[in-house]
Amino acid sequence: MRDIELLTEFSKKAGTRLEPENIKIDDTTLRDGEQTAGVVFANEEKIQIAKMLDKIGVHQIEAGIPTMGGDEKEAIKQIALLDLNCSVLGWNRAVKSDVDASLECGVDAVAISISSSDIHIEHKLMKSREWVLESVKNTVDYAKGFNLYVSVNAEDASRSDMEFLLQFARTAKEAGADRLRYCDTLGILDPFETFLRVKTVVDIVGIEIEMHTHNDFGMAIANAIAGIKAGATYVNTTVNGLGERAGNAAFEELFMALKYIEGVDLGFNTKLFRELSEYVAAASGRIIPTWKPVVGANLFVYESESRASAVLDCPEAYELFKPGDVGLKREVIIGKYSGVVAITSKLNSLGYKITKKEAEELVKIVRNKSISIKRALYDGEIIDTYKSYKSGLKKENSKIKSGEKS
Amino acid sequence: MITVNDKKHINIIDTTLRNGEQTAGVVFSKHEKLRIAKMLDEIGIPEIEIGTPSICEAERETIREIVNLKLSSRLFAYCEAEPQNIQLASECGIKNVVINISTSDLHIKRKYKKNRTWVIRKLRESIRAAQQKNINFIVSAEDATRTDLEFLLKVMHIAKNKGAYRFRICDTVSRYDPFRTFLNISTILSAVNFPLEVYNHNDFGMSTANAMAAVRGGASSLVVTVNGIGEGTGNVALEEIVMALKYIENIELGINTSRFRELSEYVARSSARAIPVWKAIVGTNVFAHESGIHADGVLKNPKNYEVFEPGEVGLTRQLVVGKHSGSHTILHKFKEFGIDLTDKDANEILSIARSMAVDLKRTLFDKELIYIYRDYKEKKIKKEEKAEA
Repeated sequence: MRDIELLTEFSKKAGTRLEPENIKIDDTTLRDGEQTAGVVFANEEKIQIAKMLDKIGVHQIEAGIPTMGGDEKEAIKQIALLDLNCSVLGWNRAVKSDVDASLECGVDAVAISISSSDIHIEHKLMKSREWVLESVKNTVDYAKGFNLYVSVNAEDASRSDMEFLLQFARTAKEAGADRLRYCDTLGILDPFETFLRVKTVVDIVGIEIEMHTHNDFGMAIANAIAGIKAGATYVNTTVNGLGERAGNAAFEELFMALKYIEGVDLGFNTKLFRELSEYVAAASGRIIPTWKPVVGANLFVYESESRASAVLDCPEAYELFKPGDVGLKREVIIGKYSGVVAITSKLNSLGYKITKKEAEELVKIVRNKSISIKRALYDGEIIDTYKSYKSGLKKENSKIKSGEKS
Repeated sequence: MITVNDKKHINIIDTTLRNGEQTAGVVFSKHEKLRIAKMLDEIGIPEIEIGTPSICEAERETIREIVNLKLSSRLFAYCEAEPQNIQLASECGIKNVVINISTSDLHIKRKYKKNRTWVIRKLRESIRAAQQKNINFIVSAEDATRTDLEFLLKVMHIAKNKGAYRFRICDTVSRYDPFRTFLNISTILSAVNFPLEVYNHNDFGMSTANAMAAVRGGASSLVVTVNGIGEGTGNVALEEIVMALKYIENIELGINTSRFRELSEYVARSSARAIPVWKAIVGTNVFAHESGIHADGVLKNPKNYEVFEPGEVGLTRQLVVGKHSGSHTILHKFKEFGIDLTDKDANEILSIARSMAVDLKRTLFDKELIYIYRDYKEKKIKKEEKAEA
């Protein structure tokens, strides 16, 4: 089969409708998000984030790494005691002592993580495939003995030999694991490859799959969606896409992409998205870029005449959802790319009625001003510009008049 | 790996100076525009959209000066479909334009408050104006992903018959995921055989993936901006798609990527839009490793956690010591400082460093590690003296 035909077949298959009850979000802001180089949350911040995620409607929270001990362990214990609606999961290596630490925290679910790629097995673990499978079997066995929900994380799954990944998944399933986390640890997959690999595991092994994607090439969201389309049922996200290197699939982007691109609504309270993003930004010291998809402060701020004039009358011309849906506001600002419609509307809203001719003159003035100050204009500056334009007109008129007299 | 069989050349057209500047609140100075144009040319970007002549005389002056640089890159001006806009472009010495017009009924009715016939007329008039001035053109269909396919193909036919370079499909509101993008592009191409260019926005974080899906569907040109700046969520980031094409799709465009960080920094400064530290490809954190697992893995072999060398995009690898660090990082860090630690010392210093990082809510500077080491040594000597006494 030619590749193009294969891709067409995938794309058509990927077009089938998704059902909301089959998709769950497992947020790892508190674990992988905090693992970002340079980011440390205080315990009270962790608890606050957990509460907010739960209130919004997330299904599971990956609360941290119990075996690290100290404050980390304490925070996980406290989160487990919050009596949240969502499941609380602890992250573990494939060793029994890690699972013991999770048990001491009172979590109801554990992730058991181990690499499945030869490159990691040889160069990081310095062990063999057999050793990996044995570790999976023993640790899952042990955790299931305590009635925990068990996710087995195949780290670096994307660079794993498919035959071995299937064996890995089968071992996890037979040992009683509830799901397999497919980790695109380096963010090297594209959506088509993701679809192919995840579908292979789902079809052949028949285990629930969770997508853990990274954004190294800007494809974290697209790959998570591709995984779901291939039959994955969980997605591991972080608020603002926080996470190691280029980060993970952003919680808010994934939710909105599912709702507005794929037509499947998980029913979360999106109105709290901006608030949650702001909180995580403050706690992590990683500000939200103004252009950040879904929650960036500038997303509904319009300057160019083409967009501004359209959205003033018909927001759908450039918006798939309303700013209020995610806790943002719509605004038209005036700058280099502004035109007659935007300036008229702006001055009207500031209490000044202007004619079309005045607006046309003002556009020229405002554009030059914006270029010389290298930014958009504040409302006060727009009013000043308008007033000095008007007084300039008066002076000119009186000059003409006095000229006529003499 | 799935790859597209017939690997044709992929064209890149950068619109940092046009749609990048159209970002609400962003204005480049003339000096900055000239510098950005030069840098794009130097790193090997084949085509650049340098501005919108209809904005004002100052913009036209800048366009003229960029034209006078005589760059190797092919230069385009951006024109909403209106003969007068083409005339203004021509006065700047421009030889190529993008003629843009919305094709979706929603935009035609609610933005233009016109009908399809009006769109066709405007397009034909603009093309005629360009041809009279000997200007070559791309026809750009705004909101193409919400356009009735039949009408879109009609517009595309006009572009083809009138001798456009190619036809631009704009996913103006990020309507599609990569699978739909692929089907859309391959469907259009099977109906009309003509070079396609895609223009994607990032409203749901999928612009790069959509651009790549479009390439797989047969698109031959991509519209990008440095750092992905642009209206709303912005456009496809130049640095992301170039590296994705190279490492995921095995398409090498011959662009000098080692200047990506420098270019990104320049655009970040002149647009007052700082590069997030986690920005894919050019963020400073992309090659910073803190967690024990990752840092240890990278120390053993960078390939454990890196697809390409940091130098390839003008970055450097850093090991950061913080809450998630392991003893291997400590050993390695101190070796860099010229100090060989025993495993026992490394473990004890690690636990001091970790709790300090938790207290300070951040990672530690190299200097701080040295202070920890000194305090630790001092205590140890005192202890030993006590024991001896």
